[in-house]
Amino acid sequence: MIRLGDVTYFYPRATTPALAGVTLEIPTGQFCAVIGANGAGKSTLCYTLAGFVPHFYRGKLSGGVEVAGVDVPASSLAQLAGHVGLVFANPFNQITGARFSVREEIAFGLENMGVPLEEMATRVEDILGFAGLRDLAERSPFALSGGQQQRLAIASVLVMRPPVIVLDEPTSQLDPIGSREVFAVLRDLAATDAATVVLAEQKLEWVAVFADRVIVLHEGRIVADGLPGDVLASADLAQYGLQPTRYTQAARAAQAAGFRADRDDLPVTLEEAVEFFR
Amino acid sequence: MSTSFSLYIPRESGMHRLHPLTKLALVAFCLVLGLFLPGVWLTYLAFMLLIVPLAAWAGVLPSFLRAVFKTALPVVISVFLVQGLFWPGGTPILHLGPLSLKQEGLQFAIRSAGRFITVVSSFLLLTFTTRPDGLMLALSQRGFPNSIAYIMLATMQIVPRFQTKANTILDAQRSRGLETEGNLLVRLRALLPLVQPLLLGSIIDIEERAIALEVRAFGRPGPKTSLLVLHDTPAQRVLRWLLLLAMLAVIGWRLYLAIAPRLAA
Amino acid sequence: MTAGGQRTTDDRGAATGAALAPMPIVVANVSFTYPSGTQALRGVSLRVAPGEAVAIVGENGAGKTTLVKHLNGLLKPSEGSVVVGDWDTREHTVAKMAARVGYVFQNPDDQIVERTVGDEVAFGPRRLGQPEAERQANVAAALATVGLTDAAATHPYDLTTPQRKLVTLASVLAMRTPIVIFDEPTMGQDAGGVALIGGIVESLKAEGRTVLTITHDIDFCAAHFGRAIVMAAGQALADGPAAEVLTRADVLATTNVEPPQLVRLAQALRLARAPLTVEGFVAEIVGRGQ
Repeated sequence: MIRLGDVTYFYPRATTPALAGVTLEIPTGQFCAVIGANGAGKSTLCYTLAGFVPHFYRGKLSGGVEVAGVDVPASSLAQLAGHVGLVFANPFNQITGARFSVREEIAFGLENMGVPLEEMATRVEDILGFAGLRDLAERSPFALSGGQQQRLAIASVLVMRPPVIVLDEPTSQLDPIGSREVFAVLRDLAATDAATVVLAEQKLEWVAVFADRVIVLHEGRIVADGLPGDVLASADLAQYGLQPTRYTQAARAAQAAGFRADRDDLPVTLEEAVEFFR
Repeated sequence: MSTSFSLYIPRESGMHRLHPLTKLALVAFCLVLGLFLPGVWLTYLAFMLLIVPLAAWAGVLPSFLRAVFKTALPVVISVFLVQGLFWPGGTPILHLGPLSLKQEGLQFAIRSAGRFITVVSSFLLLTFTTRPDGLMLALSQRGFPNSIAYIMLATMQIVPRFQTKANTILDAQRSRGLETEGNLLVRLRALLPLVQPLLLGSIIDIEERAIALEVRAFGRPGPKTSLLVLHDTPAQRVLRWLLLLAMLAVIGWRLYLAIAPRLAA
Repeated sequence: MTAGGQRTTDDRGAATGAALAPMPIVVANVSFTYPSGTQALRGVSLRVAPGEAVAIVGENGAGKTTLVKHLNGLLKPSEGSVVVGDWDTREHTVAKMAARVGYVFQNPDDQIVERTVGDEVAFGPRRLGQPEAERQANVAAALATVGLTDAAATHPYDLTTPQRKLVTLASVLAMRTPIVIFDEPTMGQDAGGVALIGGIVESLKAEGRTVLTITHDIDFCAAHFGRAIVMAAGQALADGPAAEVLTRADVLATTNVEPPQLVRLAQALRLARAPLTVEGFVAEIVGRGQ
């Protein structure tokens, strides 16, 4: 359960807020996507949920941030580790550099948390399978592709079993295969209800397929909030600096040309588009 | 895909199986020998009779010798040239045009080279036979601060990244017309634009890595467990104390040799 | 300088204002092996006519970046040759090739060296020896194209990363090279950024310049590039009109690339044609007689 109450945040020396009056409630187990133009506040929102705003970035934060029962601004980063997991775009910068095999890299967080060895071994084994890294377990983290490194970063955070995991454009530096690998892990995560997932993304086609809920940020405010099928088909996306999928664009253009103009449920995914145009 | 930067060579050798602190003690002993043994030739004896056999025992002799050669050769050559040719006064034993090779200079060079080789090969022996994370764990178990251990460990990993980044930055500037091929002056001048992107880019990387470490509970106080298990034996503990005593003895001997003439006089 | 304004022996310094005329690129049976032993290109041959817009797609490790680095001389072929206009890349330094081939690197932080956006955009033109008036005009035009005119005095690191990407784009645009290469230009950009970069590609095409891009964004490729080259394991699997190449899902799949969204939709609907544009798709649907 995530609760944001009228959150406003200014980066140090900034005159305009990065987040303005954000109020949001995300129930446990939901896969919530956050979309918006660059600069809209997606990253800031991710860092706020994980506590790096304000503890790492300083600045002025007002309003309440409660994640999995923990008051985030009132807790230290050390206390938050294990409650909120954070994965961001650059795969290489998430490798600690202190461990020389994938297995040990994953165990790093558990070592820091003082998890007993037996439990550690079990959890690491489980996550290796879940993230599809079993064949790579003894390889050096530096000898992996970008997509594999990003899966490693996610696995290293998931193994700590945080109730909430926040991902800030995790596929932006990856090729299509790497992206798909990451989305597959997230999909399985959402399916097992193991955690609440908050994902900031630009690749709307994937958001449409995987997310339970889509929130649109614009200039630090929430301007839309609902089901992917509704939010991503909305005609308002353009004014928020977003472009719907080609499926939605094609359907809209086809309706303008008179095709199925009576339907008001525009497709956002390939499947829905096939159904729409059949 | 960069590979991790570590001279460590995994082997199933007796040397490798020693506790990291034992290896550290052995290497510290070799270091002390290198720095404090009197005379000209004793350091070479230490190298041949102690360091090289240890490297052989560890099964890393070929790579080890190659690394020692590569690291020591430039320094040894310059020491010989500088001390041999430019020793003030002294006894010339060979004339090379306007310069002459002096006996005292040569002796000094041989002694300095011996020390240098012993010191450098000690460090190399340690890195070739000791897992970096094992050594850091051993130190932190004895109270060494975690963050310093991490900095030492992780910095080594970042070095090849730095090198690749520097090359990429140089390529990007060449692609914008910065001439890098040519005489030495041209090439040196071409390095100036590297500074800003290398530094600022690295700062961004460091900031993100710091965040990633926090997420992985690195800053969490309290007891930590370790996947890596270090094996220590009573025999090794005794050996470490003996080595410590031996180091003190060598240093004491050296001090005595230095002070004794004065006392006698 | 020849009568047609086309410079031949040295393109720098003595510029009198005319930009370099467009020129072809000929890659002749190029193979390349890295010092580490990996063979990254195996006998690749292609010709790029002046003014073409070519996208190179394929999985990581297919050889896309290796190929493109041969075009401005950053890499010299182990076998075969690369000739840009009348210059063999092996006979000229990379810095000299920069007058003909502009290369926008993937990570802007690898390219930015100056302390203001204006100086950064002027870096390339300065190295190329553009006369002051010409240089200032090119810089101003480039900044206007990317929408950063107001940021000319800002330190590049005070901008966001996507904005820094636009700075590096502008810095290559200001060099006015007849050939421009983009490496993953839309990575990290939002819809507005992608549209802006698409617009830049279109205006380069309108000026008759040759544009090449490496991209994972297959929809961006479909929208702006008339020719697509699909690479895998150091070879070109397919090379032809994008409208044709991007419909070959089986070939694309071997190198981990999916067809553009509209193509996948058209193929799922078993339409007669798989258009690359929304307009084309709608026309196809309407014309289907349904």
